[in-house]
Amino acid sequence: MTTTRSTHGPDDIAIIGWSISPMVRNTDKTEVQMLLEVITGAVTDAGITRKEVDFTCAGSCDYVAGQAFSFVQNIDALGAWPPKRDSHVEMDGAWALYEAWVRLLLGDIDVALAMGSGRSSTADPALIYSMEMDPYYLAPLGADATSLAAIQARVLIDSGKVSERQMAEVAVRCRRDAKTNDHAQVAGDFDAATLLAGEYVRAPLRKHDLPPITDGACAVVIARADKARELCEHPVWITGFGHYSEMHNPGMRDLTSSPSTTLAAKAAGVDERPVEVAEIQSAYTHEEPLLVEALGLGADVAINPSGGPLASNPIMATGLVRVAEAARQIRDLGRHRTLAHATSGPCLQQNLVCVLEGDPS
Amino acid sequence: MRMRPSEERVEALARTVESTIRFPYKRSLGPVLGAFMTALTEQRIIGIRSGTRVIVPPLEWDPQTAEELAHDFVDVGPAGAVTSWSWVAKPTSQHPLDRPFAFALVKLDGADTAILHAVDAGSIDAMATGMRVAPRWKAKRKGHITDIDAFVPGEQPVVADDDEGPAAEPVTMMEYDAAITYNTPVTPNVERAEKATDEGRFLGLRCPVCARTYTGGKGYCPVDAVELTPENELDLPQIGTVTNYTIITPVQYPGQTETEPFARVHVWLDGTDVVLGYQPLLDTPNDDVRIGMRVAAMWASDAEKADNDARAESNLVGWMPTGEPDVTDPDLANRIC
Repeated sequence: MTTTRSTHGPDDIAIIGWSISPMVRNTDKTEVQMLLEVITGAVTDAGITRKEVDFTCAGSCDYVAGQAFSFVQNIDALGAWPPKRDSHVEMDGAWALYEAWVRLLLGDIDVALAMGSGRSSTADPALIYSMEMDPYYLAPLGADATSLAAIQARVLIDSGKVSERQMAEVAVRCRRDAKTNDHAQVAGDFDAATLLAGEYVRAPLRKHDLPPITDGACAVVIARADKARELCEHPVWITGFGHYSEMHNPGMRDLTSSPSTTLAAKAAGVDERPVEVAEIQSAYTHEEPLLVEALGLGADVAINPSGGPLASNPIMATGLVRVAEAARQIRDLGRHRTLAHATSGPCLQQNLVCVLEGDPS
Repeated sequence: MRMRPSEERVEALARTVESTIRFPYKRSLGPVLGAFMTALTEQRIIGIRSGTRVIVPPLEWDPQTAEELAHDFVDVGPAGAVTSWSWVAKPTSQHPLDRPFAFALVKLDGADTAILHAVDAGSIDAMATGMRVAPRWKAKRKGHITDIDAFVPGEQPVVADDDEGPAAEPVTMMEYDAAITYNTPVTPNVERAEKATDEGRFLGLRCPVCARTYTGGKGYCPVDAVELTPENELDLPQIGTVTNYTIITPVQYPGQTETEPFARVHVWLDGTDVVLGYQPLLDTPNDDVRIGMRVAAMWASDAEKADNDARAESNLVGWMPTGEPDVTDPDLANRIC
């Protein structure tokens, strides 16, 4: 974990372009082709070409791709000739952005690109994600992400922190907000009572409490201050960036809170000035109130106006999409200060917070 | 920039290739997990002391302080209380039970943390937070988390009549054998390339930016990062030069049909950038394989195709020396891709 503050100096780093792919249940594209499109989209959005990108970092997962070292093939989407400085994280693209941001802080290069990609449709997510659990105590039980999320949901329900009705209302709001999001897979007008009449998938979670299965990718271009101002009329400054992790096994944690989220929010300076919009990686409905509390956000903060991961959930890119959506709120929709949150691991084990600000108007 | 779904290429989903990948891991357990797994074979569940707390299942380090823990084990349970649970109506192939069950966090008596396991309660109506459960032991235990078949409602552990008793030796290793079936789409470019090889042609793709050529099936130029489409297709020559080679001494594994050392050569197709790797070389003793040899593609005849092994990837049989003089470019050896 590290973080920084905006000092309006050369070490300030801004988002200058991004691209989000179509979000679909089943793509006919390879992961390379999905990345090819979003990288072209992001550098075009930033007004540059691939040649001007000094460092790239990708977030993807071999278990999702069904291929060892799948990120090596994905480099084909970069145009890495002459060779580029490149890195990879077996994590959501939000952590790739974190690495790219740290790399730019070194000061010797100006432009970096982070990406995240995943094609969850190729296999059963319930079989894939248990592979990422503790290999001694959890994976051999086939402990899938949704079963573990349901256990956390019940802890929150039993403690009185959330109710199944409140969870359904989160789904209703996200699906309604998603109606204006071109990338949403799940959008429309629903009512909580109807949703609550549905069957449990993993009690106490019903279908509306779960994210859709999504194929998709996202790319974000960042630049150091001088370059950002040269290239971009409205740079979106990264003014705080932090991530913290808790222990892995959910049976050893207090599942009614998310202390790593609170620490990351503190490190990123969330509470220093008001936040208008938060794009958070709440892939399950019950996670939203828990994260909002852990982030210290008031009722006046708009949560996931894009519809969030409940509208489309491209695993390995979902967190990076949150950053792009939070940046869009500033550059395209006139907000001043937003935050993006990403999570990884069972029951919100690891959490990342990125605070974004526009130039003073 | 946002790409709208309507801009996405609308095409019927191409066929997919199904592949099942197995992950047959063997893991060493070390002194702490090994002790836990060994205890399971003895129908005991142990935790490890960390200060005043007892961590179950035991860890080697305190998860909060990262201090290495002394191997101070303590028996817990065997019964305990469910602290939370989820009901799995449709189990997956990786789950411990093949009928509806609960995943539960169970705080065993004497433990300060909860262990995740299955509860075989028969019905969601039999589940409740706080309910008491006890382990049902498998008759044959090997030192594995699934030696506990599941927890069941009540205070008393369940032991089978044909219980086989504890492991003869301390358990030091465990196996974890998962399998995932993937369905990967075959892209239109790959389909066209496969059709071409069926017809005895090499389909190439020429990048409209840099004019490099690639073998068919490539969907993009990795140098310029542009998509390659049917407009960029061309037939590649069927004659080339060996740029490098290897002589493989076969080891026997499933699917290996070779028994004697054999050559695989890299062939640079004339007038292109395409190097085909690891190609069979025909009618040539291993001692005669040379960098610079001129070779031509040999395709299976229709009769041979009918006899073809169903697993054969194409009807390219291999490469036949043409008898032309060798090419003597010292840089050839560097062209392996």
